[in-house]
Amino acid sequence: MVRYVHYKDPCSEEITRVLESIPPCPGTCFFMDINRSTDMKYLGGLKDWGRKLNNTFNALLFANHFEKNILKGLGDEMMLFVPDEELFGKEANNHYFGLLEDIYASLFLIKNHPNQDIFLNCKVAIHYCTEVYNITFFENANDYYGSDIDLTARLMTKSIENRIVVSEKFYTKVKNDLITFNLPFNTGCLSGISEKFIENFKGVPTSTEFRVIDV
Amino acid sequence: MELTLQKTDKCSIVSIIGRLDTTNYSILEKKLMEMIDNREDRILVECSKMDYVSSSGLRILLMALKKITMAKGKFVLCGLQDNIHEIFEISGFTNIFEIHSDQEEALKVF
Repeated sequence: MVRYVHYKDPCSEEITRVLESIPPCPGTCFFMDINRSTDMKYLGGLKDWGRKLNNTFNALLFANHFEKNILKGLGDEMMLFVPDEELFGKEANNHYFGLLEDIYASLFLIKNHPNQDIFLNCKVAIHYCTEVYNITFFENANDYYGSDIDLTARLMTKSIENRIVVSEKFYTKVKNDLITFNLPFNTGCLSGISEKFIENFKGVPTSTEFRVIDV
Repeated sequence: MELTLQKTDKCSIVSIIGRLDTTNYSILEKKLMEMIDNREDRILVECSKMDYVSSSGLRILLMALKKITMAKGKFVLCGLQDNIHEIFEISGFTNIFEIHSDQEEALKVF
C-alpha cells in the first residue's frame, strides 16, 4: 500500500525514521510513448488526434488489463508499474514473459491493423525494479519512486517507434519464466531479440545492459 | 486451453476452449497456419467456450485473417462472450473480422 510522505518541518527527524522503515516494492516498470501525436496536433484537430489517442491508450491498457497499473500519464507518455505481489496474484499473465509477450502483441496489432487510421504506433521501455518504493508526496496519489524507476526512463531514450527496450535485469526474469515453462529462449517475440547493448546513462553510476525487440 | 477440430462440407471449425494467452497461443498459431498451408482456407473459429483472450491471442487471429484474405479464403468468428467481445471492440477487431453470434448463423455464410 502506498505511503503518503508529508512533513512540514524540513528538518524533521521523523521523516528519516519513517523513510528508513519503508521496504522496497519490487516489480516491473513500463514506460510507453505514443509516437507522432505532437505532429498530429498541428496537422489535425482534436477530433482526429483525440480519437487516436483514446484508441491507442485503450489498446495498450484495457486489452492487456493494465488499466489499474497506470501511475502517470504525461501527454502521450504513460508510466505503469506492476508490483510482483500483484503480478503473481493475477489470474492470467502472472509472469514476466506474459507481460512482455502481450506488450509486443499490442504493438504488433497496432502496427499491422488493416485500418491504419485508428491507432498510433508506440515505443516502450521495460525494466525489472528492485530499488523502488511505493511512496507518494501528493495526497491521494499512488506512486513509485526509486533509482530503478529513473533508469526505466533512461532506457526509454533508447527506444524508437515500434521498438521495445528491455533491461537485462527484466530479460533475465523472462528467461527464468521460460525455464519454468520448459520453453526455449527464442519463444515468441524473443526470437527477434537483439544482442546485449551497454550504455552509461547520465546520473547512473554503473553501466546498464539492455536489449531491443523490434516489432 | 484446448482446441477441437471439426470438418464440415462447408468449412473447418476450430473451437477454442478455455483461456487463450501467452502460454498457449502458439498451439493455436501452429494449428491455424498448418491449416492455411494445407489450403484449408475456409475456417470458422468457435469462441463460445473461450473465456479469456490476451493480446497474444488476438495477434494470432489477425495473422490468420491476413493470410486467409490473401488466399481469397474466408475466416469467420462466432460465439464471443461479452467480455471477449469488448476486447475485440477495443482492439478494432469488430470492424475487420466477420463475427456472428453463434455457430448456426456463422455456418450460413460459408
